[in-house]
Amino acid sequence: MEKDIVLKVENLNVELGREKVIEDLSFDLGEKEILVLLGPNGAGKSVLLRTLLGLHPFKGEINWKKNIHIGYVPDDFDVPPDLPLNVKEFFHFKRINLPEILPALQWVGIENPSKFVGKRLGTLSRGQLRRTVIAWVLVDRPSVILLDEPMVGIDIQGRESIYNSLVKIWQKQNQAIILVSHEIGEVVKKADKILALNKKKLFYGKPEEIITPQNLAKIYGYAISL
Amino acid sequence: MDTQFLYSLITGIFIGGVAGYLGSLMITKRMALVGDALGHVALPGVALALIYGFSVSLGAFPTLILGIILIWLFEMRTKLPMEALTGIVFTASVAIAFLFLPEEKVSTALIGDISQVGFWDTLVSAILCILTFLVLLKIFSKIILANLSENLAKVEHIKVERYNFIYLVCIAIVVALGIKVTGSLLMGALVITPAAAARNFARSLSQYSYGALLIGSICCVLGILAFKFFTLPAGPLIVLIASLIFLVSLIFKK
Repeated sequence: MEKDIVLKVENLNVELGREKVIEDLSFDLGEKEILVLLGPNGAGKSVLLRTLLGLHPFKGEINWKKNIHIGYVPDDFDVPPDLPLNVKEFFHFKRINLPEILPALQWVGIENPSKFVGKRLGTLSRGQLRRTVIAWVLVDRPSVILLDEPMVGIDIQGRESIYNSLVKIWQKQNQAIILVSHEIGEVVKKADKILALNKKKLFYGKPEEIITPQNLAKIYGYAISL
Repeated sequence: MDTQFLYSLITGIFIGGVAGYLGSLMITKRMALVGDALGHVALPGVALALIYGFSVSLGAFPTLILGIILIWLFEMRTKLPMEALTGIVFTASVAIAFLFLPEEKVSTALIGDISQVGFWDTLVSAILCILTFLVLLKIFSKIILANLSENLAKVEHIKVERYNFIYLVCIAIVVALGIKVTGSLLMGALVITPAAAARNFARSLSQYSYGALLIGSICCVLGILAFKFFTLPAGPLIVLIASLIFLVSLIFKK
């Protein structure tokens, strides 16, 4: 494997039940690169992410750089409102203590983190919970982060602010990122590469080459413009 | 204070505490009634122990393991919901037990009798409770995280299946021990009620889990003391005191 490649995927096939969800997919991810996975709902983006993490069986090759520390922000993180788990205790799950928790919460734009750590996870708004999970994943500095639809269910203002915090962190910490999104927005412009997916690889390349009205119509089945 | 009474108190404190602690996990995983159902599954083993005069926990444990394996096998074979299969196994167990359970032993089997525990029974129960508590302490945060997002837990290198298995074995041990205190019929209360009360009081996860442990022990102490004074059966008294504490906890629920 080349030195600056963190992930190389070759001829990846994934079946769930008897349905082919991903067909013959090949791509790679370099160090400090941002790869955005685009595609309509049901295109296999989340399945691809979980397959890369070793959560689904597959055929083909998935080669991560040796001993790489991967962080994952899942799309299914929900906390029952009555669970008395506070933010500080949630970080203790990772054996992370206050001196590290506070800056991590600041990275993701939480104001007054020393008060915030006492809040119960179940009482946080969706946006706050999302930020908390992102901070939790980032706190032990993974060298690659996989984010599954981090903006879903969050209002436009919240999205923009989470997005801005993410960009700041990327600029500071320089991780490689794979981000799943079913929509095209600001985030696409920051990407180094786009992988447009609908079970099969539709397009793969730089955003300016991929994001054209003709291509988007192919990806989503109807015309979209930015 | 006579030695026999002291044994009952010590046994109650340890079993009540670990059952409460385990209950805080079971409520979080929405498995609270599993304790209740497994209490019934253990009944044939309890019946054998009462007939042949050995520890009911010793009788209960193998029956519980057998019951859990059966439920697991049925689930693999049928894909029916776990609760339906548990229902089949636990009613069948109760039916089998009543074929040979002598009438004079019915009350002990169903609501327990902690007044007769001996030195060795107390010692073994206390050691088992401490060991089970230590195991639960180690797996607690991992099980909670896996409950919030199994995928996230797996990515964080948590062997979810392994921890779930250890957790099930802990449930079997605690149910087997709890039957000694409150019997097959009331065992469920030892894991559900203290933890539910603690959840109402708690402002954090540690307050919740240790609160459940404390309330579990307190219920057993007060119940056994009340049994001494009123000469009513200890099992139901313990459960009623737990229910009372739950009612009081409602005041604290925001």
